[in-house]
Amino acid sequence: MNTDNNSQKSPLTNKVLDKLQSGQIKMHPKKYFILKTALIVLSVIIVAFFTLYLISFIIFAMRASGAWYLPNFGFYGLKAFLAFLPWLLILMAAALIIVLEILVKHFSFAYRRPIFYSALGIIIITLSGSLVIDKTRFHSNLFRGAQEGSLPVAGKIYRGFGMAKCRDAHRGAVSKITNDGFLIETRRSETLTVIITPDTRFPFAADIKENDNVIIFGKRDNGTIQAFGVRKINDDLNIVPRRRIQMRLDK
Amino acid sequence: MVQSGQIEPFEILIKRYEEKMKRYARKFLFGYEDAEDLAQEVFLKSYINIKSFDVSKKFSPWLYRIAHNEFINAIKKKGREPLSFFNSDVLFPQLVSKEKADGEINKRELRQRLDRCLNELSSKYREPLVLYYFEELSYKEIADVLRVPIATVGIRLQRGKKIMKSLLPKK
Repeated sequence: MNTDNNSQKSPLTNKVLDKLQSGQIKMHPKKYFILKTALIVLSVIIVAFFTLYLISFIIFAMRASGAWYLPNFGFYGLKAFLAFLPWLLILMAAALIIVLEILVKHFSFAYRRPIFYSALGIIIITLSGSLVIDKTRFHSNLFRGAQEGSLPVAGKIYRGFGMAKCRDAHRGAVSKITNDGFLIETRRSETLTVIITPDTRFPFAADIKENDNVIIFGKRDNGTIQAFGVRKINDDLNIVPRRRIQMRLDK
Repeated sequence: MVQSGQIEPFEILIKRYEEKMKRYARKFLFGYEDAEDLAQEVFLKSYINIKSFDVSKKFSPWLYRIAHNEFINAIKKKGREPLSFFNSDVLFPQLVSKEKADGEINKRELRQRLDRCLNELSSKYREPLVLYYFEELSYKEIADVLRVPIATVGIRLQRGKKIMKSLLPKK
């Protein structure tokens, strides 16, 4: 009977069934597939968090140096802004976005649509998430930790990028108003003299008062800056000049 | 039942899809002498991975996906035809006419034409044409098999038909 059945089967069916019955071929258990999917989801979450962290760090570093505000000062500002962009970090963020794109392409909601849509979705989500993180004191607290020496691993990176000097942007707090401008104290605890001329631009016209946080766009000559543009800024990055940190640590 | 490890119900599946898999292998792997062995491999792989199949969905696209992977690997191994690592037609949204039912006569004619120029079509266009005209899968099912956007399936079918037209007058 069995021989009759076998003779009715095609050679392909016989070969497949022989292999299955001999036990050479084993089914993967359900948990194997659950684990595989969980691994992809976990990878998506980890890469997404790392991307958010990196992009928000880039924004923080740009804000801390003052370069973030340079496009407000017209074409020259934009040129200086582009020149200062941390391209290595941006390339790393782009690579992470590509990895994220490859990972989400495992799911039908992503691969059924053109890459343009899923990539745009990822970019919008990561950028808006990074801007939300930027509104918190997450990076500035880590930066403070790095300055105080209590951030062992990332401390060097924070000190490096957080204190990066943009050639034409000078960030600081107004310490004194003078006849032809004002003095500012920078994050590096330097006191710089800012000279205002009739050509100086004030993109967001505001009265400059003592203790105001400002960005000065202009060439520095020793301790003096001939201001091409001045902008008052309201972001609170909680960055304390190096001298005050040192004084606090000395106590 | 197959997912619980029983072999008999799997035999029914083999019987139901054997001819389809052999045909898909023969048409897509045109000129590959081991096309039928690969069809056998598809059933073994599907048995190994059967627990990943979502029973609420249709079985055939899932099986064709396994077959697609198997056949693509065979093409890569043999290195007889180039496979592009990246296709630009999956990048941007494209305007493509929606899936419409070709008349039976039209379909038969296209199948005959396709049969005559299979070896001259690149795998990029040959596969969706085979899946659509011989295996009668929908755009969405083909998109799931190839893991490309639905619009890309439409574009590849359109371009594939155009290439076919340009090839046939020479014959």
